[in-house]
Parts: sequence; structure tokens; C-alpha cells
Amino acid sequence: MLYRYDTDILILGSGGAGLFAALHACQTNPDLRVTVAVKGLIGKSGCTRMVQGGYNVALLPGDSVERHFMDTIVGGKWLPNQALAWRLCTTAVERVRELENEIGCFFDRKPDGTLHGKAFAGQSFDRTVHKGDLTGIEIINRLMEQVWARPVERLEEHRALALIPTADGAALAGVLLVDMRAGAFRFVRAKAVLLATGGGPTMYRYHTPSGDKSMDGLAMALRLGLPLRDMEMVQFHPTGLLAGAETRMTGTVLEEGLRGAGGYLLDGERRRFMLDYDPQGERATRDVVSRAMYAEMRKGKTTENGGLFIQMNHLGPDKVRRAFKGMVERCADCGFDLAGGLVEVVPTAHYFMGGLVCDSDTRTALPGLFVAGEDAGGMHGANRLGGNGVANSTVFGGIAGEVMAEAAARDSLRDPDEALIEAEVARANHPFGRPAGDLNVLRERLLDVMWEDVGVMRTAEGLGRGIARLSELNAELLQTGLADQDRVFNLTWHDWLNLRSLIEVGEVIARAALARENSRGAHFREDFPEPGDLEGSSFTQARRRDGTLAVEQMPVEFTIVKPGDSLIEGDAGAPAAVMPT
Amino acid sequence: MNRADDTLAVEIWKGGTDGRLAAFEVPLRANQTVLDVVTWVQRHRDPALAYRFACRVGMCGSCAMTVNGKPRWTCRTHVAKVAVERHLTIEPLRNLPVIKDLACDMTVFFEKWQAARGRFEGRTTRHDEVVQLAPDTPARVAIDAGIECINCAVCYAACDVVAWKPDYLGPAALNRAWTLQNDTRDAGQEARLAAVAGDAGCHNCHSLQGCVAHCPKALNPTAAIAGLKRAVFRAALSGDL
Repeated sequence: MLYRYDTDILILGSGGAGLFAALHACQTNPDLRVTVAVKGLIGKSGCTRMVQGGYNVALLPGDSVERHFMDTIVGGKWLPNQALAWRLCTTAVERVRELENEIGCFFDRKPDGTLHGKAFAGQSFDRTVHKGDLTGIEIINRLMEQVWARPVERLEEHRALALIPTADGAALAGVLLVDMRAGAFRFVRAKAVLLATGGGPTMYRYHTPSGDKSMDGLAMALRLGLPLRDMEMVQFHPTGLLAGAETRMTGTVLEEGLRGAGGYLLDGERRRFMLDYDPQGERATRDVVSRAMYAEMRKGKTTENGGLFIQMNHLGPDKVRRAFKGMVERCADCGFDLAGGLVEVVPTAHYFMGGLVCDSDTRTALPGLFVAGEDAGGMHGANRLGGNGVANSTVFGGIAGEVMAEAAARDSLRDPDEALIEAEVARANHPFGRPAGDLNVLRERLLDVMWEDVGVMRTAEGLGRGIARLSELNAELLQTGLADQDRVFNLTWHDWLNLRSLIEVGEVIARAALARENSRGAHFREDFPEPGDLEGSSFTQARRRDGTLAVEQMPVEFTIVKPGDSLIEGDAGAPAAVMPT
Repeated sequence: MNRADDTLAVEIWKGGTDGRLAAFEVPLRANQTVLDVVTWVQRHRDPALAYRFACRVGMCGSCAMTVNGKPRWTCRTHVAKVAVERHLTIEPLRNLPVIKDLACDMTVFFEKWQAARGRFEGRTTRHDEVVQLAPDTPARVAIDAGIECINCAVCYAACDVVAWKPDYLGPAALNRAWTLQNDTRDAGQEARLAAVAGDAGCHNCHSLQGCVAHCPKALNPTAAIAGLKRAVFRAALSGDL
């Protein structure tokens, strides 16, 4: 049974990008029907809500959009699409004002009542506005209140299965979804669709994103033959909690500030090792620390559970308790004493820089399809600055809402490729009626393949092995059925679908990583450790055509600034740090 | 029944409102939350078991359930803290319709949030500067005390008044309303005060403090509701309501 439903604008996802899109679409044209479909509940799934650090914006005296832009480009190792990065930095100013003045967020103030900017690694100015260390909760709670107050149609616990174009493939017609509560398929036609499901590299042994994330958005775009860029760029955070097997706590992030404040990383024999790798020790950048930790772990210098330790108590347990209240409490709930004892940590997959190719108005190559947030690629290049993630989702989500409202007022509903709907329904139904197997074993193997062969440090040999192992896994998944045939709220069916998306996108990560024969930002090749010529930089672009995945090298166009130059007078390349006035 | 030392006896609600408890034996681990127990059962024993979670770290407020009779966030509730003689009973939250097994329909909870006018109404726009506002005024301190709510509905499930009077707006919605009544940037205070002064509003609260006892964020909705009651009283005296 396939239920059909029409709307003007369909938004997939309800993080910062999805909610801002809904709000701006309603504001731009209140006569339009706006529908938000989300895998969980509105505002509760997705990763914007999980933002701890804050929001990068050039709003404080002494800072400038040019400086924010230069930090973003240099941090991204000259790979970002400069038009996207520029749009990000300029619009962030308006977006933070909107969050404060219209949405109702209240970011931390200095004693004089002006906004407080915190220091974040890799930036030349303390520009990260925040709400303590729970910035995402403030942003999403306020935003979801605004969306709930408007006549936005809600399809909660609806999982998107496929983007369905018209029969001639010229434009998008709508989206096939499954109502997870009912277990029924639903086809929603829309004049404009936003892909804002969030990336989330949860196919790695250790990962930070929300558990509902499974790269469905990029997997759907890939199947449609759309170009994905920077797919090798997976950001690892150095300090993920290691709590052992079979606990969802493992992999969750312990904040960056612990290292910034002077925390030590110790090996299994409680020896400090970071100074062996970098003169900045634990305060080196995320990628450097993650690689050092991975190298130690590979040498077998681990704790009993296969990780390393973070130690804070030399700073004074009471001081740690005061400065990192949230982290200390979270660890205590999990049974660990962060302030006084040692906590086991591992590098953990945190953010996905790669995504669907788009322009600075969020348009994709397919008319009717727009993209924002972690599903979009090109803003961050080889590395995302802390604080640019939530800026990215909220800036481009809002833009998408405005642009889609204009498109929807102009365009008509289009008829879908019915044969493709049928094929995609069959694809989602695949595990029903097949002999039941153990998905847990397949999941564990996927986590290991990605961690071992496509992870923090890569080689051609490892990537090749990873691709072969992923292909075996995919074949086995297709032979594996469900033990319970009930379709209603059957999470194991959705685990199966999650695995399929993760394996599919995992292969693209591996192939893009194999294609990039140098080391930039988050991507490190042990067999090609040099960054390569900056002026001749290229980014990878992957797309599937006729069942074959091809990865091309596309030259980076330095449309605003080129390597060696700067938009800041008197600077060259990386901006020099300035103290806020 | 004899049971190995390394297992946990778990009873989990199955079905809708008219469901029943089903028994499972789950391996005990040193680091294990209630959410991990539910996950283990879904992954290894009962593949169609329905429950809801997202962030895993106490930020999204999706995974609240009733654990040994008390509403809790399950992702940050360590088994060692709540198991009684290695036994757990896990049921859906009270006061909300059950969709299936451990998953509730939270729609009414958010509708009440809106009925209490739980949303900011600004006076300025994205084209204006951010307001310069001291962070340590009594009003801001009152907001800070209640603003970290993650809308998990634990307080709503803990509230006996909601159980007796299903129309009651409940602690979370009123707590949010109180933070907004203290926000000097907000333009919606008159209408909001009228909304929370109504039949379903703040006067229903008997200060039983179930919300305070169970809020995983250690917020105090009872105090917020008391603030609203005083504001309503003052407005009534001055003829503004």
C-alpha cells in the first residue's frame, strides 16, 4: 500500500538546516504548504542540538567577515568552494542576529552585556558565540518553538527512502518515505525538496553523531547519480569516550576544552605521549592529536579496553568540576570520574565535510532539489573549524527556505517516475521474507572495516582491502533477512536500512580517499604524507553512473583569494591572531 | 528462579496501552545504561521492540522511559544506579499515549508548550544589532535557572496533577513560560500571562514537586510555576488580567 500526499515544500530533516528552512519558507510565502519529514521527532533528532562549542560569527569589535573567511579557507587547507565559504561567513552575521532578536536565543554575554566570543582552535579571533557548553540545545529549542507555532505539516518518524525524479529525469518530483510508526510507504510530491538529513559518519567503530544518523541523504543522492564532493574528508575528534562494548556511550565526545585547559593524554602505562608528536602537545589541532593517538593505539600501548587515558586531576579536581560541569556530570552518570581519576578515550568520527555539490543558493544539479547542512559539500574543504558546523546548517537552511519558497511559487507539481517508485519500494522491502541473519555481526564488521582500513590513517593497500571488505559486507547484507516481519515501528528493519546506506557511502569515502594521493586536513595518507601543491589544489567529485562509481579530480577555483594571498591587509596566507578588543 | 550472577532480569512493556510486561535476561556489564539494556533486547532478543532515542548523551530528550516506576532519561541512567537486586522494569512514560512498546506520542506535550505561548516574540529583527544586556540581573538569573530544559517530558510524566487533570499544561510548558516572562526582550508577555492564568494553567499546580524530584537536569519547575502564580496574582490585583 502506497499512500500519496502533496505539498509545496518538503524538508527532510529537522536539525538547524531543516528547521530554519521551514521557518524562512513560511516567512517568505505564508500561502505555501510546508512539510517537515524527519526520522525522529521534530527538533530532537539531528546533530545541531548536540553542538557544545558554539557559533562562529564576525560580529565582535575587531573581527571582520574577511578574517572569518580567511580562517575558514586556511583551516580547510585551500579546498573549500570560496563562494560557499563567503556566503557562510557573511550570512552568519545576519543569522546570529536573527537567532537573538527573532528566535529568542540568548547567547552568553560579557559583564557589560555585549556578546562573549570564546577562543576556538584554528581561528585568529575569539569569535565563537555560545550558550555555555550547550549551545545547540538553546538554538534548537528556540527554533523548534517557532516552527511548532506555525502551520508546518509534520511527518515525524518518517524515514526518507528515495528521491524520485520525473520519468525523463529532468527534475525532482518528490520523495518516497516510510512512516516508521505504521510501517507504510508514502510518496510525497513537492515542488521543492530540501535534503537536510545531516551527514554523520556513524559507520566508524567510534563515532559521535546522533544514533539516528546513517548518511541516508547522501546515499539517496548517490543513487540518483548526483555529484558528491570531498567524500574522503571525515573529521575525527581526539577524545571520544571509551566505555566498552555494547554501550551507546562509547564514542560520544568529551569536549575539546579539556585538552585546551591543560588535560593530559596518557598511554596504557600512564605515560604522556603527545609531546613525542607535536611541540604543542595535547593542544595541537584535532587531526594531529587524533593521528598521534591512533599511532599509539596501533603500537599496542593501550588501556585494557584498547584506548588511551585522559587525565585532568593534575589541574585540581575541584577546578575541573567547576570548569567542566557538564562533562564531569556526564562521565559520572556513565560511571567515570573525570575530575579525579582517569577516563578512557579514543579518537572518534565526528563530522563529515563531504557532501552534495551545490551553489551558494543551495541549488543542486537537479531542479527541484536543494541541499543544506551536513548533506551539502564544499563549505569546509578538508577540515571544518569548530563553530562553523552550526553556522553552516543555520545559514544555508535559512537561505534554502527563501529560495525554495520562490521556486515553489513559480513551479508546478511534477509527476514521478512510477517505475522507480516501485523499484525503490522493492529495495526497501528487500529484507522481508529472506532468512533471518544477525545484523549485529554485520554492523560490528562494518565498524571495524571503516576504522581499520578507511580511518584516521590511510594507505592504498588498506583502502583497497576496505573496498573489498565493504563489497563482501554488502553482498551478505543483501542475503540477510529480518527475524520479525512486523512492519510497525520495527527498528531492526531500520537498522538494516541504516546499514545499507552506511555501506554504500562508506565505499564512496574509501574510493575518494584512494583517489586523493596527498594529505590534507582530515585526510591522511601514510603513503602520500605531503599536502601537495596548494596552487594546483583539486577536490574529489564522486558520482555513480550506470552502476559504476567514478571519482574525478576537479580543480579548486580560487575565485576570491589564492594561496599565498590574503583578504586581510598586510597578511599573507593564514591570518595572524588578534586579541579581541 | 535461579539466575546467573552476570545477568539482569528485565521486564519490558510490550504493546500499546493495553499491553503487558515481557521478561528478558540481559548480560550485565560494567558500563551499561538503561538505554543499552533496551538496545540489547532489541538487537538480540526482540527485534521489533519499539523505543526512541537519538543523541545518546542527554541532549535531545528522546529516550525517557519509566524505570522501576520512576521516569528517567535512559541514556544517562546507569544500570548500577537503578537496578534493584539486578532487576529492572522498563515501561513507557506515564501521561502520554503509547504508540508501541516504549515509544510514546509526545504531540500533546508540545501542543501544551504552544498553548502556554512557549515561544519568543521579538521586538527587533535580524537587521538590528544584538541587544546589549547584562547577564546577571535577577530576571536573567531566573531565566538561567530554567532554560536548560531538554523537553524530555520526564516532569510531565512525573506530575500527578497531569494524571488527574489531563488538560493541565504541565511543568515543562509552564517552566518555559516563566523563562519568557522574565525575558525583557520578549513582546508577548501579556498574552502569555493570560494563557497560563486559564483553567488549564499554573493554578492547578499543588506543589507536589514530582517534577523537581525527577528532572534529569535538576531544574525546578515548581518554583517557576510559583513565579507565574505571583505574576498572575499581581496582574489580577492591578486589573491587567
